[in-house]
Amino acid sequence: MNKEVSFKIDGISVVAQKGESILNVARKNGIYIPTMCYISKTSPCASCRMCVVEASGMDGFVLSCNTPPIEGVEITTNSQALNHERTNIMKLYDVNHPLECGVCDKSGECDLQNKTLEFDVERQNFSARDQLRPLKKWGLIDYEPSLCIMCEKCVHVCNEVIGDDAIEVQFGGYKSTIIPKGSELLDCTFCGECIAVCPVGALTSSGFKYRANAWELNRVPATCAHCSAGCPLEYETRHSSINGADEIYRIKNNFEFTSLCGAGRFGFDFENRVSSNESAFNSAIEALKEAKAIRFSSIITNEEAHILELLKDKLGIKLFNEDARVFAEFMKSYSSISGKLHHSGSLDAIKQSDACIIIGSRIATDNPGVRYALTTAAKHNGAKILYAHPMEDALMQNVITQMMKYEVGTEEGVMALLAHAILQDADLDDSERAFFKELDFGYLCAETNIGEEEFSLMMKSFARAKKRTLIIGNDLIAHKRANNIAKLAALIEKYSDFSLVVVPREVNTLGVSLINSLDCDENISNVVGYNAKGSFVISSLEGANLAVPALNQQEGTVVSIDNRVLPTNVSLEFEGYTLNDIARSFGIDKAETVEYTKELNKNAGFKEIAFDDLENFLSSMGEDNRGYLLDEIICRAEGNLEELDDLPEFNGTIIYQCDPVLQFNNYTLKTKQLPKENFLRGSAQFSVAARISDGDMVEINFGGTKIQRKFKLDEELKGTIALNPTFDISVDASRYRFEKSKIARVM
Amino acid sequence: MHNEQIQEHFNNRNVTEADSNYFMVDIAPYPTDGWGKFKRVVKRSFRGELFVGLWVVLREMIRFNIHTVKYPEEKMPIGPRYRAVHEMKRLWESDTERCIGCGLCEKICISNCIRIDTKLDEDSRKEVTEYSINLGRCIFCGYCAEVCPELAITHGGEYENASDQREQFLIFQDMLTPLEKMKAGTQKEFEGFGAITPHEDERVKKTPLAY
Repeated sequence: MNKEVSFKIDGISVVAQKGESILNVARKNGIYIPTMCYISKTSPCASCRMCVVEASGMDGFVLSCNTPPIEGVEITTNSQALNHERTNIMKLYDVNHPLECGVCDKSGECDLQNKTLEFDVERQNFSARDQLRPLKKWGLIDYEPSLCIMCEKCVHVCNEVIGDDAIEVQFGGYKSTIIPKGSELLDCTFCGECIAVCPVGALTSSGFKYRANAWELNRVPATCAHCSAGCPLEYETRHSSINGADEIYRIKNNFEFTSLCGAGRFGFDFENRVSSNESAFNSAIEALKEAKAIRFSSIITNEEAHILELLKDKLGIKLFNEDARVFAEFMKSYSSISGKLHHSGSLDAIKQSDACIIIGSRIATDNPGVRYALTTAAKHNGAKILYAHPMEDALMQNVITQMMKYEVGTEEGVMALLAHAILQDADLDDSERAFFKELDFGYLCAETNIGEEEFSLMMKSFARAKKRTLIIGNDLIAHKRANNIAKLAALIEKYSDFSLVVVPREVNTLGVSLINSLDCDENISNVVGYNAKGSFVISSLEGANLAVPALNQQEGTVVSIDNRVLPTNVSLEFEGYTLNDIARSFGIDKAETVEYTKELNKNAGFKEIAFDDLENFLSSMGEDNRGYLLDEIICRAEGNLEELDDLPEFNGTIIYQCDPVLQFNNYTLKTKQLPKENFLRGSAQFSVAARISDGDMVEINFGGTKIQRKFKLDEELKGTIALNPTFDISVDASRYRFEKSKIARVM
Repeated sequence: MHNEQIQEHFNNRNVTEADSNYFMVDIAPYPTDGWGKFKRVVKRSFRGELFVGLWVVLREMIRFNIHTVKYPEEKMPIGPRYRAVHEMKRLWESDTERCIGCGLCEKICISNCIRIDTKLDEDSRKEVTEYSINLGRCIFCGYCAEVCPELAITHGGEYENASDQREQFLIFQDMLTPLEKMKAGTQKEFEGFGAITPHEDERVKKTPLAY
């Protein structure tokens, strides 16, 4: 069957893929068709009717956004009748639209404004009785129904891309409005995507409202600094008061193709306002001369990581970064089987896949970018999604098709069983075949608490899938048996059509793991901390001995989950010293930090491209042209699967290190708008087991750490595992995220 | 009709035509030799043109018919379109400030001398919290008055702004029409850049409302 359809738009011959809409083909070929409600990343809303076109042999107009062409049809996008129709649509949109463009937040970038002028609405012949439509305040989001044009973009992204499904249309003709679904107030993850896609000023950010206008803000293209999804965004800056220094007013993104989570959108003011002076700088130099090691976090750029590596060689000291080290170890084991350095999947691969396994991560809070990709796959491709984790996640409920609940700590067994199920008919070599033969299924099923029927159900639902993805979360990376788990993951990728995505914990865990040669963290004194704990702290957070710029005050690159090297830029100035200044006083001499961009580790796949030559844009069809993809590096595959270890048992009150929605780390903690709920959240069952009740102040004792938190009963949780936020404390990233804990009420 | 004549008059620049108003100035030929040049110098030096001027001054002094404006006691009247120090106007109906804080003046200002800060106030309206014009930088181009959608910022006739402190060059309260002036109804509308044209009322059409 012919998959291509050739037809004509405005006399130009074009070709459509099967199922592609006329609008999409027109856009691909640079032919303009006006739209009001169309948004590329969702299915067509088809509410505005602006995209109407004429088709030969058809009476009346055709909606180009949801109509695929037929062979040989001739489409006209512009005629007097069409123009008249479109002008009338704009007139209808303008009925009773408040004339408050002078103060409206959207003014200057408003679709309604633009199209009203474009279609030359100079007189209004329609009218309707206006009605009282009061402003709704939904926390971080404000909704002004009188400005709303009911394009339904917000509902579509919320449902199809984000997966919150938190708003819906209340139908009622002219009285139609957007309402929160199933509750009086908006109950969602506050990603703010509805604000971004709103073509008018109906949905606005309450923190930004009336503070500045589109034409007053400077845009700085950058990469989000909170998680490894590496979402593109633009910092919009302007002077703070009439004499103040610049500040970031809001975040915008290319909502047509990409999404942002709430932390990215509302957590932008994490810049370091402290400046550093010369005496602090000199003492930093002294401290480094004395130091035995540098401990650093992965919330840094590749260039900084490279400088740290140079410092390591120069000073002969050790580098500690547990988060990147365990990730590097995991990937090393992965490479020993797969024979290549990088995992094969990407967020785009997840979006396009029709079957996904996500294991070992509470992904909605660990990496919202992956969650949105999964939602897109589920809603657009009808993807079957298997969610394997010891805890259910209410946020993923809309998306997942099968929940595989395993016992805490038994990840190695689960992976072995998964690999066995997937690779049943694969062409394995002898040693691998022997590995699966030796598996004690009775023991594994009993310990993991997963029945064989669950795997057969999975294989049945995956049977017809063509693009499949396996997503590995941090529980597996920081697991004691991570090496063998990585090998099993590599095996699945090698012998099946699954592509693999390993989710790095922090924004640049992947980059650091590729650039630095890390040492195992020893508890020694005389450690200089770089954005981390130490006897002398150089940090962009508060309480540092020497202040350095935060990620939104730096230029450089980070490596995202897609193995893509992404550039980020300076949105705000920083007064003081940077890591490069320190390096220079040790004779590592480069004028600018970004001069190291082209010197990054070639053996790990970095290319020799200067920072200023990196592109940073999405094309008009949504292709990602930011930075570059790491080169695929082939390495020797000499690893062998190890025999499974005894699966550990976790009993009693277990806590799971997991941040709440909108929080990731100490930087998001610094921001003004994001909620900072640092409760220990647990189910009713947990509260009974731990003998505590809602609102109690409790002391949590795990792995040598003691912290105090308020306990909050969460109706959505089940089982005896409680969620312990880590964004306001620093935890040892090399530790398994589930912890046996002692919990005692504090009087 | 009259206008057309003038236009015709100015458009016809053909100097060779007999009925044109252009004529050649009668200039004597330039001397070419040394002797001729010397004669011209002597002639120009001793014709006594200096005394013509001196006589005019003496004559007017005796007559006491002096045209000098005795500034600062006396001041010349200033045209309504004159672009001197800015004024912030108030609404006739409510006496509140006209400025809505849209920031267009800040954006358009080519010498970057306007700064504005706004916020959401308690009544969910946009409030202008700070507004300043650095007159030390202002070039009085009038763009701010032209771009203002509310006729809020205009130029005034106040051109005396000498000060020993730059900070005193402009304070928002000084620009704002005083309330007494509003009560007396003496706020003047600006007629220059950005002002509405005369008879605008007659040209505005109502939005048709069926109810």
